[in-house]
Formats: sequence, C-alpha cells, structure tokens
Amino acid sequence: MLTRPPSWQRLSELARNPLQAFALSRNNVELWANLLIITFAVVFMLWKGATFAVTLGTVFAIWAMLSVSLNLVVGFTGLLSIGHIGFFGVGAYTVAILTSTTAYENLRTGAIPTFGWPFFAALPVAAIAAGLVALLVGIAFNRFRDDIYVLVSFGFAIISFNVFLNLRGITRGAFGIHDVARPQIGSWVFDTELELMLMAMALMVIVVGISWFIVSSSFGRVLTAIREDEQVAEVFGYHASHYKLAVWVISAMMAGVAGGMFSSWTTFIDPNSFILLESVLLVSIVILGGLATIWGSLLGALAFVLLEEGMRFLPFLPQEYVGQARQVVLGILLVLLMVFRPQGLVGRYKL
Amino acid sequence: MNQPMDDNPESYILETVDISKHFGAVAAVDGLTVSIPRQGVTSIVGPNGSGKSTLINLLSGTLPLDGGMVKIDGLGLSTIHAYETPDHSITRTFQEVRLFDQISVLDNILVVLTTRKLWPSLFERTRRQHREKAQEILEKVGMWDKRSSLAMDLSYGQRKLLEIGRAMALNVNIYLLDEPFAGLFPQMLERVKDILKGMRDEGRTIIFVSHNMDIVREMADHLIVMDGGKLLLAGEVEEVLNQPEVISAYLGS
Amino acid sequence: MISYFSSADRLVAAILVIAVVAYIGWRVLTSPEQALQFGFNGLSVGAIYALMAIGFTLVYSTVWFFDLYYGAAAALGAYGVFYLRSQEWLGGIYQVNTPVVNIIFAVVVAGVAAWVLHTTLYGRLQQRVPPPVLRTLGGILALVVGAYAGAVLMFPSDLHILFGPMAAIAAAIALFFLARFTYSSMLGRRGYKILTFVAASAALALALFLGNALVSSPGSKLYLSWVVSCLLAGSVGLALYRGLYVRMRQRSRSPLIMLVASLGILLALSASISIVFESAPRPLPDPFGSVPWTLGGANIKGFNLFAIAAAFVGFVALLITLKWTPFGRAVRAIGDDEEVARVVGINTTVIVAIVFFVGTAFAAMAGILNGHDTAIQPRMGLLLLLKGWIASVVGGIGNLYGALLGGFLLGVIEQFAIWDLAGEWKDVVAFVLLILFLSFWPQGLLPRK
Repeated sequence: MLTRPPSWQRLSELARNPLQAFALSRNNVELWANLLIITFAVVFMLWKGATFAVTLGTVFAIWAMLSVSLNLVVGFTGLLSIGHIGFFGVGAYTVAILTSTTAYENLRTGAIPTFGWPFFAALPVAAIAAGLVALLVGIAFNRFRDDIYVLVSFGFAIISFNVFLNLRGITRGAFGIHDVARPQIGSWVFDTELELMLMAMALMVIVVGISWFIVSSSFGRVLTAIREDEQVAEVFGYHASHYKLAVWVISAMMAGVAGGMFSSWTTFIDPNSFILLESVLLVSIVILGGLATIWGSLLGALAFVLLEEGMRFLPFLPQEYVGQARQVVLGILLVLLMVFRPQGLVGRYKL
Repeated sequence: MNQPMDDNPESYILETVDISKHFGAVAAVDGLTVSIPRQGVTSIVGPNGSGKSTLINLLSGTLPLDGGMVKIDGLGLSTIHAYETPDHSITRTFQEVRLFDQISVLDNILVVLTTRKLWPSLFERTRRQHREKAQEILEKVGMWDKRSSLAMDLSYGQRKLLEIGRAMALNVNIYLLDEPFAGLFPQMLERVKDILKGMRDEGRTIIFVSHNMDIVREMADHLIVMDGGKLLLAGEVEEVLNQPEVISAYLGS
Repeated sequence: MISYFSSADRLVAAILVIAVVAYIGWRVLTSPEQALQFGFNGLSVGAIYALMAIGFTLVYSTVWFFDLYYGAAAALGAYGVFYLRSQEWLGGIYQVNTPVVNIIFAVVVAGVAAWVLHTTLYGRLQQRVPPPVLRTLGGILALVVGAYAGAVLMFPSDLHILFGPMAAIAAAIALFFLARFTYSSMLGRRGYKILTFVAASAALALALFLGNALVSSPGSKLYLSWVVSCLLAGSVGLALYRGLYVRMRQRSRSPLIMLVASLGILLALSASISIVFESAPRPLPDPFGSVPWTLGGANIKGFNLFAIAAAFVGFVALLITLKWTPFGRAVRAIGDDEEVARVVGINTTVIVAIVFFVGTAFAAMAGILNGHDTAIQPRMGLLLLLKGWIASVVGGIGNLYGALLGGFLLGVIEQFAIWDLAGEWKDVVAFVLLILFLSFWPQGLLPRK
C-alpha cells in the first residue's frame, strides 16, 4: 500500500521515464516488499502448478485469518498478545467435537460425546465459544499492559494448550479427534482441495471485510487512540477497557472461525497444532507484515507460507529441518525488523 | 480563608470540598477546599510541587481522589472516572503534551468528535460534519496544512497547539489547561492567548496553571494561589496579587 | 507498573493466601510423610526456579526490559553440557561436535575477549603504547582466547586437561581478590602489603594444587563442563547486549521493541538447537548417582540437595556483590535511574554488559540443573524463563530476596497442587498463580523499595 495513491497522470509520466521511476522508488521499502513477495508467490505458483497452489492457498487463508484478526489486537489496539493460538484451538476443537461422528468406546480414554452436527452449524458456535472464552480471559487481562500483558498472554497460550492436552474427557488429549466433518450444503460436500480452498478463501474475505469495516469506523480510530495513550483516550470519554474487551472478543471470534476451518480442512486435530510456538510464529507474521494495516497481515501470512514452501526446495537443507530453519529465518528477521523497521514491512505503527 | 463569600451557589461551576491526594507519605493535595466561578478565566499559581497539576489531575479524573468531594455544577462526586468527564462537561490538556502520537493530526481531532457510545461507533464512518468541524478547529490553531502528518512529527509548539485544539473539539464548558503557555515562542503564545480569549468570550470556563505572572495578569479574572497542597489565597486577580504575602512569596520584592 | 491496589483486591488476595495456606496445612497434618516428600520435591524444583528468578531479577531490575534470550541461555547451558559430554556415554552415536558450532562460539568468545580488553586495558595503556600496536596486540590476544575456546569445545574428552588449569587459575585469582577485598574492608590499609604477599602465595599454591587435581581426575570433566557452559551462555548474553541491545536502547525506549527482538533471538536459537541436536528430549545423567536417601519417609536425592544449595550459594554470592562492592553500587544506581548513573560517571554500558553476563550465567546454571534433574529439550528455555518470571512476580519484581522466596514458593505450591490434580496440570497452576498475583497482589510478597 502506498502512502498516498499517485494520480494517473503521475503514473503515466513515470511509465514513460522508467529510470526516474526507479530512482523514486529505490528507498520505498513498502513497494519493494510488496513487489518481491507477490512476484515470488506468482512465480512459485506457476512453477509448481495448480494442485500445489490450491493447498498453499488454503494454508495461506487460514494464517491470513489469524494474522488479520491478531493485528486488530496487536497493531490497532497495541496489546502484544501471544495467546491468540488459544482461540484458534477453541474454535478448532468446538467444530471437531460438534461434527465428529466417530465413537471411541474401545480406546483407553473412553467415549467422548458425539453430536454429528453439520459444519455450517458448528462454525458459528465455534466463533461464539472462542468469543466467550475471550470475554472471560479479557476481563481478567484488561488491567495489564505492555510487557506484563505479553507475559500473561504467554500464560494463556500455555494454559489453553494444557487444557487441550489434559482435558481428555472432552478433547481426547494427545489422541486427537478424527473425522471432523467437511463443509456441506445439501448433498454437496466440499471434499476436494479446490472446494476447501475456496471455502477458506471465502471465510478469509469475510474476516478481512469485517476487519476493514472495524478499522475504518470511528471505533477503529478510538482503538488507535487507546493504543497511543489510554489515559488521554479516557479523558475524552472513551471507556478504554470496554473498547479493548470488545476488539479482543471480535478478534478471538475470527480466530475461532479460522480454527473451525482448519479442523475441517485437516479432518484431524490434536493439541500439537496449538502449541505456544505457533502463537509466537503468528505474532512474528503480524509484526513482519506490518502493524496496524490489514494488507500487511495478508502480506505477512503470504511471506510466511512461501518461506516454508520455498525452503523445501533448498538443496542443502534436509526436509525434516525445514520447519526449524524457517523459525531461524523468522527469528533473525524479527531482530532485523526491530532494529531497522519497527513497524514491519508495510506497517503504520511502530512498537 | 480569603475565599470571597457568595451566597448564590449558582455562581460557582466547580467546587472542591476538602479533597486530598497522597503519594506515599507526601500529601500532594491536602484538604483543599476551593470554588471556581462560572465563566471567565481562573488561573492556578504556586511554586513547584504545590499541587497544581495534581489538582488538575484530580478534577479530570486522571488520578483518583483519596478523600473529599468535588461538586461539578452543583453535582457532588466523590469519585470521578476520567471517561465520564465529558458528560460532566470537563476536558483538559496535559503539562507534558500527550497527543495520540502515531496517528495523523486530523485523526487526533476526529477521534474527539465522533460518538462516545461503543456499539454505534462500530457502524459510524467519518461524516461530513465531523470533517468540517475538524477543519474549523485545525484552521483556528493553524494546523490544517499539517493535517495528514503524524502528531509525533510536529514541533513542540505545534504539539501544544494541537493539544489545545483537541480539547476545543470537545464542546464542553470547563477547560482545565495545565501550563498551556509553557515553552512557546512569542508568536505561538499570542495564538494560544487569542484562542483562549475566544473561548472565554463564548462563555466557557477556563482554568489554567501558569508560572508566568504577566500572562496571569493579562488573561485571568480569578486567581487561586496554592502552596504545599493547600489553598493560600483565592479571589480576583488584582486583589490577590496585591496581598503582601503573595508579593513576598512569589513575586519577589 | 500497575499502581492501583484497592482494598477489594487486598481482600481477595488475603482470602486466596488463607486458602492456599489452609490447604497445605491440611495436607501436612493429614499425611505428614507424603507432605515431606512433596515439600522436598517442591524445594528441589523451586531451587531451579529460584536460580532463574535471581538471574532474571538482576537483569530486569537493572535495565527494566523483559529479555527473552534469557530462556535460550538456559537451554544453551544445558545443551552445552550435553555437547561437551555426548561423546562419552553415548558411544559416539550422537557425535554432535560440529566444527561450525565450535567456530561460532570461538568467534563469540573472541569478540567478548576483545571487548573486555578494550574496555579494561585500552584506556589505561593508550598513553604509553601507540594505539595501532595496542590494537594489534589486543586483536591477537582476543584471537588466541577465541582459538582456545574453540579448542576446548573441539576436544571435550580432554576437557580436564585443556580447561582444568584455566579454571584453577581463575578460581585462585578470584579467591586472591576476595581475600584482599575482605581484608581491606574489615581492617583497612594496615598490613596490606604483607597480606597481599601471603594471599598471592596462597593463591599460587591453590592454583597449582587445584590444577593438578583437575588435570589428574577425568571425573572433574562434568563440573568443568558446567563452568564452560555457563561461561559460553554468559558470553553470548554479553555479546548480544553489546552488539544489539545497546544500539536498540539508544534508539527507542519502548520495552516492547526489546521484547520482540529478544523473542526473535529466542526463536532462532531454540530452532538452531533443535537443528543441531534434534528436538527429541535427551537425558543428562544424574551426577551423584540416583540412589536416594530416606529421611522421615521421604526419598531425598543428593543431586536435589545440591541444587538447593546451589541456589542459596548463588543468591548469597550475588547479594554480597550487590551490597558491598563498587560494582554492586553501580548496578543499583543504574537500576534506579540509568541517566543519572551515566551523569554521575558510571560506565553504564560496561556495568550492564557484566550484569547480562552474570544473569545469563545464572540462567544457564538453572538450565543445567534442570537438565540433570529431568531431561533437556530445545524448547525447555521458554518455559523455564516464564517460571522464573512467575517466581519473581510472586516474590516481588526487582527484589533479590523476593526472587529466592518466590522460586521456592512456586516450586512448593506447584508440587502441592498436583497432589490432588495430576502432574500434567503443573504449568496451569503456575500460570493461574501468576495471573492471580498480578491481579490482586501486583507488588508481590516482598516489594522492591
């Protein structure tokens, strides 16, 4: 996103004089970040073909939902939360439990109740469940700020992971839940990768749309004011903790939707998808892409997905180390960003 | 006390009854009872650490009261929440300018103009009337050209002006201004004076803290002198400034 | 920091404390033998938390930002011991002695050595020796130190021969200065020269004896590997501070920037550790044998007693350093106000760098003890760090006594809580405790003055 959209006249002028265009854009990090990541994505898709692009698209859509929703909290409200994966997990488990029909009588953990709901009935419930959890957590967390907030959000991530792992009567613990239902309309079951990707993309568009609606409203402006100076925002009549709670719940509901989509896509979930590390990666995506812009979060998610897939094709890197190598790269990127560009690639807010 | 007695309670817009605030063992404001007349300009003076800023913070709900009561327009309150002060028709500026740094100058004003209700604000876009009002205020403080730059990129004087503009955007009766004239160049100073005079002429009550006695003489109608968290003197400016103890304590010989 | 602390909060805090005390008391009364066992387990886990919390408190109360590298330091320390000893007991299956890692650490150590030489000697010798010569000599010396560190890492089976004499010399020098300092602070300058002579000869004798003892006994390799790991983790901490944090702190005062940057370091380091060592948990052997003693119905392992003692020794040593040495005064001055300390003429960069070194060495020690107690894992660092943080919140942020108390208390409460729940809820208990404390008792048990 450019700071100010250039006029057509200016653009055509630049098009006639490419050298000048280059000179103008040389120091524009935002422009280069956009160009680089999008070009890379397009080249990669063309090279690897449609099947690959479809899988990548689903993964991207899920990460994008998560990072856009987290950016509402981190970038727009200034609460650096590392517990977002907990809400993702609540959504995923809600959909899994409500839709899975497998009876587990023979296993040591005993049976968990089966409901056999359709996906589209379970998804709103997942959002509401994540929202309710967020409401409780948010009321407890509302008095914290800055680095203390980071610490307690770490706590939330660890508590939620332990609940998924140890509340065996509901989540089946480490065994996980199989046979999560795919989305279904009438007799049309979304079970090809393409259909699932379109479904995930549709949900992503809805999440991005709602986020855009929020940040462009008066509410969004108040959030940025609270981020800058909570006390002053209160002097002007905004009850800051209500606003923080509201955006926290909305953001958690979006993460819950992403979780529901995730569990339906993989059809099997276990607690390993919701470890603290995932949350840390998520925060890195948000910061990498750019704080306080929706486009930044989309770009960050795209870069993140491409990074992993791209690293698979490095000849000197054994396959089993790709995940770890990506963390090393992300970690170093985070340090570099904090030193040189604390707002992220296309961000509007410096930490 | 030297508080001029007035039988008509309607003539005071803001009264404090025995309010106090302690920081550890230090009493920043200590059993202060003071009345601020409706309309006109009231100035609070006193040496450093006499509790002027703390008084402003208490009246605006930025700090909670330890004891006592504040009467705003006859309504007695023993706790003031900062987020309720616009409902009590109060707003303020800060001694060290506190803007919303990483949003634009225009947004700094707009954030004050939009609705204060949570759910309606989700569905409210910036309206034309908001924009016009913001333009009016920014032109008054001479910052319309700077509307799209970030508040953090402004100079000190511009930040001070923008903060006053942001307070003006809130259409209230009582303005608490903490050191609005400190550190300004003469040109800026004149502009702030003009703005405050304009607000006074609209019939609003302005309460400001200042160290500059010339400005106090020029601007203020009423004067409150504080020392050690207590009220020393209060009354009409000339009356108070002619008191021998004030002359000796604050103005030198 | 959170400043409001209403009377309602105080009431809730009191009720919670009474509930916890009543629960533990009831447990102790109904089954004292088991309670003794749980209590001892709590103390031995608590010792590790306390070490973490002490180091963390030292760093946090000096620079006031939340450094997550500190967690990686714990993992680094534990894996350092594993690295140095892996060839011995695993029969060369996990030969992880990679040249790349050795070179990286050699470079870090050389850099730290260069920095130490520059800050201590350069200014003093500048007048007498021309700077280019000084720089060349210093560079060569730093390279030698780095090469030595690389060699120590390269040949872990000869650790006692390579590193033993060095450790003996360092211990002797430290004791020499300690004796001199104690003498001069108690008796002043009278008889100072004689004392210096006596202490120096005693230190020389000690160095010879200790060096000989270490070199001739391969069993000392374990303890030497602890020292090497702590020094390495500390060097990395110092290098990070000097190379990265100083620059960032000059530019921005926001604690969040530092936090996110150190989060990046933690992420990169723990992932690197899992690349080098694989992410599966690994055992460190129990150094004192695993046969427990029985005491009043409780099984007590020698190693756990050692851990508790280590926590106390570390605490007392740090306390003495902070209370009675010029270095300690400088640290406290920086913690109170860094700007003022700089104006008064304290070289804040150097002092803070040393604080980072010491703090991360504490974390590494905690990581090593934890590794010997249970197992090591690349991701152990973050959880240990968070536990140390919780302990320091419980004890009172920024207070060294609070860190020790909070560490032991957290360990004991965790152990008693999983008596009725189950072991896997341990972390949940710790974090619920954290949230309750931060909500209702933000100053902690022993608030910083």
